[in-house]
Amino acid sequence: MGQNQAAHASTDDVSGDEEFDPIGTLTLIGIYFVILLLAWVYVYYIEFLGRDLVVVG
Amino acid sequence: MHIHAYEKLWLAASILLILLLIGSVTYGAVGPGVAMVADSEQPIDAGGLDEDERFSEPRVEQVGENEYAAYVVAYQFGFEPSPIVVPEDSTVTFYVTSRDVIHGFEVVGTNANTMVVPGEVSEITVEIDGSQEYGLLCNEYCGAGHHAMEGKVNVVSQEEFEERNSGGDDA
Repeated sequence: MGQNQAAHASTDDVSGDEEFDPIGTLTLIGIYFVILLLAWVYVYYIEFLGRDLVVVG
Repeated sequence: MHIHAYEKLWLAASILLILLLIGSVTYGAVGPGVAMVADSEQPIDAGGLDEDERFSEPRVEQVGENEYAAYVVAYQFGFEPSPIVVPEDSTVTFYVTSRDVIHGFEVVGTNANTMVVPGEVSEITVEIDGSQEYGLLCNEYCGAGHHAMEGKVNVVSQEEFEERNSGGDDA
C-alpha cells in the first residue's frame, strides 16, 4: 500500500490519519495567515498609529 | 484523543493571532496612549449655549503649560471658531458641542474624530506637532447643507498664536 498518497489510503486504514497529508491546504492557510498578519500590522501600526493627532484622552 | 499534527498547528496559529490582536491593542493603550472618547462631560442645555461660559464665545485658550482647550460649537452648517487656531507642539483638548442637530467632528486624515451631540460635550485630547493646516468636516448627515459643512484647524507657531490671541483681545 502506498505510504504517501491519500488516494491509496482509502479502504481498510482506520487508525492511520497521519497518512492524510493535505499539504496544499496547509500551504494555502499559511499564505492566508501571513496576509492576515501583514494586513493587521499595516492597518494598526502604520496606518492607525502613524497618523497625526492620536487621541490620548 | 488523537489530534492530527496540522490540526495542532492551526490551533496554535489561531491562538497566536488572538494574542497578537489583544497584545497590539494593549500596546496602543499603554505605549502611544490611545484613548476613547469618554462620556465624562456633564450634559448641557443645547438651547442655552449663548449663556454657557465655555460655549457662548467659542475659542481656544491656554489652560496650562503647553496645554490648550478649544471650545468648539458645531451648527448647521459650520464650526465656530473658524478657523480653529492652535499652537504647534502642544496638547489640545477639544470640547465640542452642537446647538442644533447631531454633527460629526473629524479632523481630516487624522485620528481626531468624534460625534457631536446636542446637549452633550464631546471631549478629545490630542498631541499636536508641527505647523500644518488641517481640514475639518462633519461626517454625520445633518441637513441640506451637510456636504458644505467644513472648517479648518490651523496649527501655527507659538509666537503667531500669541500674536493672534492678543490681537483678538484688543479688537
